[in-house]
Amino acid sequence: MGGKTKEQKQYQSLEQKHEVKRPVLKNCIKAFFVGGLFCIVGQAITYFYIYFFNFTEQTAGNPTVATMVFISMLLTGFGVYDHIGQFAGAGSAVPVTGFGNAVISAAIEHRTEGFVLGVGGNMFKLAGSVILFGVFSAFVVALIKVLLIKWGVI
Amino acid sequence: MRKILITYFFVIVTLLCACNNDGSKESGLALVKTTNPAPLSLEKSTKKELDLIGAIEQDVESFKELYDVSVLKGKEDILVAYKVRHMQRFHMKKIEKKIKKLLEDKYSQENFIVSSDYKIFLEAVKLEEKLKDPTYSTEKAEKRLQEIIKLKKELT
Amino acid sequence: MRKGKQSWIFPNKPVIVSTGVSVGPFEANGKLVADFDIIHDDLWMGEDSYEKAQRVLMEEAAKTAIQKGNKTKDDIQFFIAGDLINQITPSSMAARTIQLPYIGIFGACSTSMEGLALASFFLNYNGADYVVTGASSHNAATEKQFRYPTEYGGQKPPTAQWTVTGAGAALLKKNENEKGLPVTTSATIGKVIDLGMTDPYNMGGAMAPAAADTITAHFNDLSLDPSYYDLILTGDLAKIGREVTFELLQKNGLNIEWEKFQDCGLMIYKDDQPVQAGASGAGCSAAVLYGHILNEMQKGTYKRVLVVATGALLSPLTYQQNESIPCIAHAVSIEMNE
Repeated sequence: MGGKTKEQKQYQSLEQKHEVKRPVLKNCIKAFFVGGLFCIVGQAITYFYIYFFNFTEQTAGNPTVATMVFISMLLTGFGVYDHIGQFAGAGSAVPVTGFGNAVISAAIEHRTEGFVLGVGGNMFKLAGSVILFGVFSAFVVALIKVLLIKWGVI
Repeated sequence: MRKILITYFFVIVTLLCACNNDGSKESGLALVKTTNPAPLSLEKSTKKELDLIGAIEQDVESFKELYDVSVLKGKEDILVAYKVRHMQRFHMKKIEKKIKKLLEDKYSQENFIVSSDYKIFLEAVKLEEKLKDPTYSTEKAEKRLQEIIKLKKELT
Repeated sequence: MRKGKQSWIFPNKPVIVSTGVSVGPFEANGKLVADFDIIHDDLWMGEDSYEKAQRVLMEEAAKTAIQKGNKTKDDIQFFIAGDLINQITPSSMAARTIQLPYIGIFGACSTSMEGLALASFFLNYNGADYVVTGASSHNAATEKQFRYPTEYGGQKPPTAQWTVTGAGAALLKKNENEKGLPVTTSATIGKVIDLGMTDPYNMGGAMAPAAADTITAHFNDLSLDPSYYDLILTGDLAKIGREVTFELLQKNGLNIEWEKFQDCGLMIYKDDQPVQAGASGAGCSAAVLYGHILNEMQKGTYKRVLVVATGALLSPLTYQQNESIPCIAHAVSIEMNE
């Protein structure tokens, strides 16, 4: 379909009048606080690893991420995470726990189609594009950095 | 549902916080509050040695961006650990470079390990505490120091 | 007999003998729980997949309708059913169990009225003595196909709707001069209307023009005034769609009272259930009509009801390919035979 006809435009402006808008500001504030809460938990876990294990601030990141994903996996499995998500929006979607949730929820959903084609084939249905574009953009950024260093800009 | 969710969070948060409250030793709180450890040498505490590490500590503390400095002198290496003020943490790498350069220029015959990592600071304070115990041997202390230095150099 | 452009009238007035409604746990917490026949407290219905669970819902609804009508399956000629899942497998597999000659139909959420209109047409013209028709949907199975996994923590906008887990079926028969029973008197088959809406999280807004078009056509074809009906009931327009449709109808010159213009999607759940704009799904209009509304008609609350089920004829593929959402609505008028 190319451009919109006059009739369509007319209807859409009528529809807009009745449409309930997303409460953007409220959502942002909720996302800020819930996202912040997630980060507090993450920081606590980082300190936990620094304090009780041989991890420095530099190296504690990896086990912290793994733990956070594990927690979000449990919350997803117990059916809590989607409610947090509905309340917090980006606050629970942007941190790494959101990524874990995307993977696990797809895996649970397609459990009924078997392990190989169901879970295996659909697990990264949502998260796959995150991985693809994440890796690709990391590659592009690294390439630019290497070139800039080579040319002596930085 | 929302109530369950909120309690969930509190349980997790309190569980994790509870883990951090371990003993009332100075090192137990080294991550949270300012400890200002005294500079120490693992080996002989001659006047000259003490003056040297005292001067180093003074030099490092003169940086406004940081607080809480710990200086530990081993056989060959001097470990300098400090905490960076929160608002300056973005410039942590730069500060580290600056301190290292200053120290190496000023005390060119010494070998410095400079770190702003909490873990290194924590371990340094722990080691100092152990040194207070007269039965703790110099060899053991030196070994522990080398372990900390190795930890600092680890990256991922 | 066709009347006007796109409407049928049924002079023989086929009778809705009995109905059967089976719902899931979320609907059991809703407003209309007293009107449902079978209530499950497990979303799986004891099956190992949600699709199978939906099949069970459809089977139970159809069987209950037959049982309540004191008939056996040998008395019945046709089973007309449909749903939202790929290739309407839950309905077809329910038909496999029920073992009746089967007509599978797809009209998305308008399936319930499509089936009722067809069944009435068959019965009116001696195509059958008894027909069972129904529609079903299952929240988890539908979400899985059309949107994200159920446990995925994405935020749904306030325009989103909640797919009903439930099935409704009705047993219809030829009228043999009976009185005091609900009968179907006319039906209007809608045309596909697409006004370029593309947001799958705003079905009500997309379907509103189709509903308005079919309702307008119904009154034009039958030369009726809206005041003829005690209730005009739309399928699953929810909050936004209901308001928009109401405004469109006013613009078309139909004077409908706001109170007499209700929506199934706003009736089934309580206000504090987290369903955003309201309910949707093929099972929504089926469960509300065959459960609640027909009960109310028998109690005498309503005498004449026009049910307009609306459907969004999209697939997950078409909206990813940026196609707009084509919508349809079918209307059936149900009256108490006096």
